[in-house]
Amino acid sequence: MKWIHELRRLLRRSNRKISKEALAEAVTCEEAAERIFEWLDNELDPELEAKVGAHLETCARCYPFLVFEEAFQEAIAKVEQHETTPGELRDKIMQSLETEGFGSRSSSSD
Amino acid sequence: MNASAAHDDTFEAEALPQMDAVYRFALRLSKSEDRAQDLTQETFLRAYQNWEKYTQGTKVKSWLFTICRNLFLRTEERGKRHDEIVTGVADTDPRQISREATVFMAVRDRDPEGHFWREMVDARVLEAIDDLPDEFREAVILSDLEGLPYQEVAEIVDVPVGTVKSRLFRGRRILQEALYEYAVEEGIIGEPTAARIRNRGEASK
Repeated sequence: MKWIHELRRLLRRSNRKISKEALAEAVTCEEAAERIFEWLDNELDPELEAKVGAHLETCARCYPFLVFEEAFQEAIAKVEQHETTPGELRDKIMQSLETEGFGSRSSSSD
Repeated sequence: MNASAAHDDTFEAEALPQMDAVYRFALRLSKSEDRAQDLTQETFLRAYQNWEKYTQGTKVKSWLFTICRNLFLRTEERGKRHDEIVTGVADTDPRQISREATVFMAVRDRDPEGHFWREMVDARVLEAIDDLPDEFREAVILSDLEGLPYQEVAEIVDVPVGTVKSRLFRGRRILQEALYEYAVEEGIIGEPTAARIRNRGEASK
């Protein structure tokens, strides 16, 4: 009965392949390019995400574009903003809040 | 604990830790340290005065950014200009923009995988973001620097999600062009040469 298991395994693999190919063909290169940022940002609904993803990852024309845009997105996402609130400003903010009553009714004084 | 104490405690626990984020947002919006300081101070004052309107445990950073941005628009008297932009050229259909992947087209023979993006120093990227037109800058700051989802960006900027998408798309394209120019100037990536162009032409025959 081993051959039955093997046949089922091959059928499953074949179905998956057909399914991915069908997904990839569900959108055109132009549509995939239009959606590339939304796809990279995980902002597409699951159905469209699967279609666009399948296309971008399997299309010889679109895949280099995906790699390029992904590199850009990663570079921007890792940018760190190092500015912190100046100490003087922090003090001014706390003073203005205290003038409004902040801290005058702390939980410990209940 | 009475209501006032709870009011202060939750404000301290949720709002105050966002002070640096609000200050940076104000800096990027206004491009001025003095203005950023005023905006940050006024934002926290307004937030404290209206703290009961904030739903605890929800998106406090977005709520503070909304206050900060509204103050910025009001004080800068940008309202009219902003409205003009909302209905004007800024919200170009992304389908018209997507064909403008000019940087990819320009470098695909030299650096198709975009390695040069990784060579950019943070300060230069921030400068390029600061130079973006206002409406695109907002979208890029909130989405790319702050990592907020489109829906939250839309709520802060008070536009439909579709508008956020198109502004982000256009903003990123402009940013790519600015950073590419910088990369060429700094020698991070070479300029296209006549030889390369000739070779590409011969290769395609």
